[in-house]
Amino acid sequence: MKHSFIDRYAHLDSPLHMLEARTKIIGFMALVIAVLTVRAGGVGHFFILFFLISILAGISQIPMPYVVGRTLLLLPFVLLAGLAAPWKGSAGWSWFLLLVMRSVLCLLVLVILTNTTRFVELLRGLRKLGCPKLVVANLSFLYRYLFVLADEAMRMKQARDCRRVGRAGIFAELRTLGSMLGTLMVRSFEHADQMYRAMLSRGFSGEFMVIAPRKCSWRDLVFIAVVAVIIAATLYL
Amino acid sequence: MPGSLVEYAVRITRLSYSYPDGNQALESIDLDIRAGERVALVGPSGAGKSTLLLQLNGILRGSGLVRVMGQSVGDGDLKLIRRQVGLVFQDPNDQLFCPTVFEDVAFGPLNLDVPRQEIQKRVEQALIDVKLDYSYASRSAHHLSHGERKRVALATVLAMEPAILALDEPTSNLDPSNRRHLIELVACLPATLILATHDLEMVLALCSRTVVMNHGKIQAEGETRALLENAGLMEKHGLEVPLSLRNRSA
Repeated sequence: MKHSFIDRYAHLDSPLHMLEARTKIIGFMALVIAVLTVRAGGVGHFFILFFLISILAGISQIPMPYVVGRTLLLLPFVLLAGLAAPWKGSAGWSWFLLLVMRSVLCLLVLVILTNTTRFVELLRGLRKLGCPKLVVANLSFLYRYLFVLADEAMRMKQARDCRRVGRAGIFAELRTLGSMLGTLMVRSFEHADQMYRAMLSRGFSGEFMVIAPRKCSWRDLVFIAVVAVIIAATLYL
Repeated sequence: MPGSLVEYAVRITRLSYSYPDGNQALESIDLDIRAGERVALVGPSGAGKSTLLLQLNGILRGSGLVRVMGQSVGDGDLKLIRRQVGLVFQDPNDQLFCPTVFEDVAFGPLNLDVPRQEIQKRVEQALIDVKLDYSYASRSAHHLSHGERKRVALATVLAMEPAILALDEPTSNLDPSNRRHLIELVACLPATLILATHDLEMVLALCSRTVVMNHGKIQAEGETRALLENAGLMEKHGLEVPLSLRNRSA
């Protein structure tokens, strides 16, 4: 079974893809912070930032249906958080609108970042920016084993479906789901154990080594400068 | 190859091991393997084959003495010992934990302080050795087929240039074509070979000596063909005479 959850279009060759990971992390995080600092009523600011993010999405060559789809996929969680709006009085709906605008723009930024940077480069970039080794290593394992566990979950689901005839009651379904999740957790422990043995077998002594990644170029400086100028202009207009 | 002047690649004396739950996995194992020799460990599931392989580089440690290329695993430099023993796990998903094939293959050499400029060469050579194109280096393990993962798993230890290759069920879950390629590949490798497997046809093709294990003990050892032809012995220990030998005698 094949999955490509996070960095499906990271292999493309757009100008954004050619930037160094650190540049993109800094630039895109600056955009996220800019989005989060826009206050209620700053619809104009949102539109300028949305325009900038749309240009970046266009430059990235990532198919638009994919970008929109990924953003909408996470939107239900935002809407769930927005359920509190009616209880916030007259300001509730403007708060809800602010929440949706911020979330959509931040999600767009993250979708573009993760699809213009291979996950491994993203991890290297985080490490070079001072993110703790252990955090980066855990993210790396998460990325790698997400697929293994997804495969196992899918196989378990198929095995369950093969033995299920007709509709079971909701409690029976929940009980089965609980057993499956428990089994999946035990298997992930077993994988972790074996993986650690495999790491030790290849000389691992607690220190994660990396090989030098690609270096910054003039493109990175131009990108950071343009993003900084646009954000500053947007926020101080 | 480091330590290639040593007569015995592996010397195991009275090795016993119990898992934390009390299950005795190995009991009083005595086994010598000469440098350059190819030895198969066969036996039913749970016989202790994989546990024995994990003793060779100190991942598990029991009572008794294990010497690898002349060095005691208990007191020796574990880094050096793990450089000497290339252990390939049964499930390649356990072995391939890095985001890309390149990083997985480079993981061992990096930990062994191989100079950075040499690591690139080692990765390229290891991928050539397992008959994979260098374009695989940038791919993720989860985008590879099971057969390709098995080959990459082998490359991850070949890049460490080990004196001893310990392979745990190398042909499990492989289709016939991938299985044949893997056997041909292993046949060309110059290292001392220790195979833990149920694939007795592969044992016939690769190993001059076979050790039969069951219930954590060595039940028999000797010349491969003579041992595998012994129907009574095979049946007693949950094995079968390989088809090629049965056809020959029929």
